[in-house]
Amino acid sequence: MIDGPLLAIETSCDETAAAIVDGRRVRSSIIASQAALHAPYGGVVPEVAARHHLGTINRVIDAALAAGGVGLDDLQAIAVTQRPGLIGALLVGVSTAKALACVRRLPLISVDHLLGHVCASWLEPVALDPPFVCLIASGGHTRLDLVHDLAAPETLGQTIDDAAGEAIDKGARLLGLGYPGGPALEQLARSGDRTAHRFPIALGGKRVRDFSFAGVKTSLLYVIRDEGPLSARRRADLAASYQEAIVGPLAARLLDAAREHRVPAVALGGGVAANGRLRELVTEGAARQGLRVAMPEIALCTDNAAMIGAAAQFTAVVPWPDYLRVDAIPTAPPGGIAA
Amino acid sequence: MLTFALDTSTPSPSLAITRGDALLGELWLGPEPGAGRRVLEGAHHLLAALDVDFRALERIVVGVGPGGFTGLRIGLATADALGQSIGCAVIGVVSLEALAVGLAETVAVGTLVVPAHDARRRELFAAAYRVGPGAELTEVVPPLALGPAPLADRLRILAGADAPIIAVGSGAIVGGEAFRAAGIEVPPAGYAVHRLRAAALIARIRAGAGRSTEPIYARLPDAEVNRRHAAGEGA
Ligand SMILES: [Zn+2]
Repeated sequence: MIDGPLLAIETSCDETAAAIVDGRRVRSSIIASQAALHAPYGGVVPEVAARHHLGTINRVIDAALAAGGVGLDDLQAIAVTQRPGLIGALLVGVSTAKALACVRRLPLISVDHLLGHVCASWLEPVALDPPFVCLIASGGHTRLDLVHDLAAPETLGQTIDDAAGEAIDKGARLLGLGYPGGPALEQLARSGDRTAHRFPIALGGKRVRDFSFAGVKTSLLYVIRDEGPLSARRRADLAASYQEAIVGPLAARLLDAAREHRVPAVALGGGVAANGRLRELVTEGAARQGLRVAMPEIALCTDNAAMIGAAAQFTAVVPWPDYLRVDAIPTAPPGGIAA
Repeated sequence: MLTFALDTSTPSPSLAITRGDALLGELWLGPEPGAGRRVLEGAHHLLAALDVDFRALERIVVGVGPGGFTGLRIGLATADALGQSIGCAVIGVVSLEALAVGLAETVAVGTLVVPAHDARRRELFAAAYRVGPGAELTEVVPPLALGPAPLADRLRILAGADAPIIAVGSGAIVGGEAFRAAGIEVPPAGYAVHRLRAAALIARIRAGAGRSTEPIYARLPDAEVNRRHAAGEGA
């Protein structure tokens, strides 16, 4: 644990974020979203993301310091997302963090982005302590972790093809909705019948709790191709059924895992955790099983730096000057989160 | 004034420290792809060798490209954050100008100096400057990405049939054949003039060429080129 405020930096995808975290307390969390910049391309463009991070990062850090009421002299450490993510985007954050820290000889903590999502609910006001099972679902990741120790979560399963958020975005595009597709699909699904169409169940893979979404997506593609122009009613029904085929298994597996491993709580993280239907399914199921549900506010579920500051408390500190060699890494460590 | 300069626009990142007009030390990394990732480590070693603390630096100067996108961004992110952490000014300089300045001192007034990096995809990142009295540089062609042959043609037309043109840098070596065909001189590979020196960035500041640290990419992202193509806007 770091005693005192630390600056955390996150640039792994399309949010430029910085936060001041002091123990479990988030003193500030600034997020500059690039979503609108990537919309014309229908997805995140790595080179566009990296260019924008570079032009934004120093202002975002200044804003986080100001909003957190601390100066660079007050910091005890600097934490930064090292992996996994878009390499050009990660390198902007890592280069910035190293240079900021090096001048002041502050310790650096290079954080796994996914451990950040797991640790988001450890922060106040949710303040969840292990043991719990955590579902991370976003445009880049879908993973189920059993957490007895925040320093070393155990991965129970993950997607073997598309991430859940990616499947939602692709489905939204097939239904003629814009990018990012999550909110638009959810909106359309609200007026539809989620039992109208039976999609294949998004389960599969070699581990019992792995996920697969490619089949669901392909199935939607065929329905749209075969049925021709869709009525407004049919479109809403397909949106609702498609969303259910993705978030239903996510909720079911999270709750099953909590039962099997006899933990008293479940947690959600990642952009898909903002999905209202997923939240509803998890809340209802957890109530039936007598589980506590930890759902951080949406700004802490989607990519942010406060969660990186939280994960930093459970990650090895790299002392000065050893971290001069720390480099960004695009991939997740094999077998899940690095201890 | 204690000034630290770095440039990561080429596979051979360059670092330098000056006090006033005196060069205290300089260092090159690479040349190899990804050498830019070691720029902060290099800076640490250079400063340690000179017994200078980062916090004693009074000014950071950084090459803003054009050059390889990723390496360029590492240098700019490093320079900006050093300045933010030290609390000193960070000033940008066009990297190609730094490459031109070393040659400008050795050629006749009126010569067109063409600094060029290998930009891959059979193109060069290049610019052209006319050398004036006192090795002063006047920009004739702003930084761009172009194939060696069309670049050579354009330079010959700009300069006139007999005017001397000299090209330097990794791009001059790569484009050597096209350049020589257009009567553009390229010093032999291995000569020091082909190497960008960070100290030359500081010389450009003295000549009043400082600017913001906004990078010069000279190329749109591929996705943007494709999007404009699809929208019929042309690249
Ligand atoms: Zn994420």
